[in-house]
Amino acid sequence: MTTGPNSAAGETTPAVELVGLTKTFGDIVAVDGLTLDIAENLFFAIIGPSGCGKTTTLRMIGGFEEPTAGTIKLHGRDVTGTKPYQRPVNTVFQSYALFPHLTIFENVAFGLRRQGVDKTDVDRRVGDMLDLVHLAQTAKRKPRQLSGGQRQRVALARALVNHPRLLLLDEPLGALDLKLRKEMQLELKRIQQEVGITFIHVTHDQEEAMTMADAIAVMRNGRIERMGEPVEIYDDPRTRFVAGFLGASNLMDGTVTGTDEVTLTGGHTFHVGPDKLARANGAVHVGVRPEKIHLTPSGADPGHANSMAGVVTDSSFIGVSTHYLVQTETAGELTVVVQNLGATRFAPRDSVTLSWDPEHTFVVAE
Amino acid sequence: MTARTDAAERADRRRRRVPYLLMAPGLIWLFLFYVLPMFRLVITSLQEGSLERGYTFTGNFDSYASVFTTYLPQLRNSLLFAFGATVIGLLVAYPLAYAIAFHTSRWKTLFLLLIIVPLLVPFLLRTLAWRVILADQGLVVSFLKTIGLLSESGRLLSTGWAVLAGLVYNYLAFITLPIYISLDKIEPALLEAANDLYATPWTAFRKVTLPLSMPGIISGTLLTFIPAAGDYVNVELLGNRNWTMMGNVIQSKFLVIIDYPAAAAISFTLMAIIVTMVIIYVRRVGTEELLT
Repeated sequence: MTTGPNSAAGETTPAVELVGLTKTFGDIVAVDGLTLDIAENLFFAIIGPSGCGKTTTLRMIGGFEEPTAGTIKLHGRDVTGTKPYQRPVNTVFQSYALFPHLTIFENVAFGLRRQGVDKTDVDRRVGDMLDLVHLAQTAKRKPRQLSGGQRQRVALARALVNHPRLLLLDEPLGALDLKLRKEMQLELKRIQQEVGITFIHVTHDQEEAMTMADAIAVMRNGRIERMGEPVEIYDDPRTRFVAGFLGASNLMDGTVTGTDEVTLTGGHTFHVGPDKLARANGAVHVGVRPEKIHLTPSGADPGHANSMAGVVTDSSFIGVSTHYLVQTETAGELTVVVQNLGATRFAPRDSVTLSWDPEHTFVVAE
Repeated sequence: MTARTDAAERADRRRRRVPYLLMAPGLIWLFLFYVLPMFRLVITSLQEGSLERGYTFTGNFDSYASVFTTYLPQLRNSLLFAFGATVIGLLVAYPLAYAIAFHTSRWKTLFLLLIIVPLLVPFLLRTLAWRVILADQGLVVSFLKTIGLLSESGRLLSTGWAVLAGLVYNYLAFITLPIYISLDKIEPALLEAANDLYATPWTAFRKVTLPLSMPGIISGTLLTFIPAAGDYVNVELLGNRNWTMMGNVIQSKFLVIIDYPAAAAISFTLMAIIVTMVIIYVRRVGTEELLT
């Protein structure tokens, strides 16, 4: 296992090093002084809302966009200012961009032919690659005769056949329906582990990023707001934006009142892991994920250190879980997700106790 | 097997009728104003006689023979001018269409308008304007004389070059627009993909842009070649006697000499030659194998 994105500067050269990368379009700053190392063989996701600069960053790494300032190094080599066809990088485009006039075989062979790979090698490598993505039987067809999912895999094969050391994926699953998207997420992860190269994956879908990525960077207004392993940033988002973008959160206003205590504006005091309070003081938001909250009937033992009383206002059953809205006295309305394990279900107007572990309480700055 | 209901079968029959109903107006039009006159043309071409004595059908093929004996130079001129105008037109139109499609995001409509606007001026007037442009005392001639491309006594008007220039100009919109449309349809991501897959801009053009614009090239060249081969106005106004085209022969046979059988035979032959060439061209260039 290679090192994480934060500590990559050590022994090995990172696959990608961005230093002070900036891109402006007129008055608009799309990417704002981005500095980032991405370790080799990592599945790295860049997520953020549209306009956050994630696609522009990817396009600069691919060479489709010239940075206004800053440098891009790939495997230690400075490639700033070089053309896309001079970079050892391949891209899977959002629209797939398959050549409509060429067969699937010729689409996949395109890069190899440009590099002057000899014919028998082209046949073998394209054949192997089509096998890898389960499309050997479509070699003679044209892109328009394929389904969306098949086209997506052709786009992937067309990039991977060149053995790039770095693969860029620009919202590669955006055009697929939900079921197919879930399948392709696992498929992409399988292929990444099989070929063992660095993937940089840009998406606005946080769930997709968490499913596949080893590390995630959350971008906002051209900067990285939070970066780390999916579990790490999900459990401790640190900013209000990341907490809201990455999954659902219940946020409550409060003030730091001790090394492991936050008191809500309404008067309730919660315990928080001291590590999460290390950087915070004064006015903060206390957060807890909906699935980390336990519901017990009013009066029963809550079971966790942080607890408060509430009244169920809405419940919706969605198969694996039930979503509740619970009105509390001091923290407003909170969302609670309870797995359907056969335990008591609550109905609107039931009085309940909400409780959760201090470990699952996080604090975000404004 | 289950029996199908009457209603489903009626709906099915209706659905099958729809395409024919949609085509009917066009088919009727074509039959009345194309097939019937064509048939009439063939009949006329096999007649003998004169305007005074009247024409009678004799099944005489002499009129056809005259095309290849008497009018071979005119036939050659027609094909030569049409070919020349198409090639030059393509060389002018392709870069023009390319620039409009890829490099003028803000002024696209304006440029397209500029190409179409001359068509609003009648064909005859446009061609007459070229008489002024190419006149012996005009700017073009004096410029060419200054840089030594034209001798002191040289002229442009009443030469083959003037005819060629007129033909290229008159059909430029018809070759530019189809090419523009096919280029404009090309997704920019396709060229980025080609660049990403190690194609230099030139290779990307050869392997992606050019093949994808082939439909536009084919229709554009046909829309130039076919009318140019039958044109007679440009020679009439810009050329001289030595460059007479088949169109001029047909025009004078029909309207001046009033020899209907000969005019019909020449028209029919010219059409047959053009159709044959078009079929060969589309077969050779239009097949998908050549596009890869």
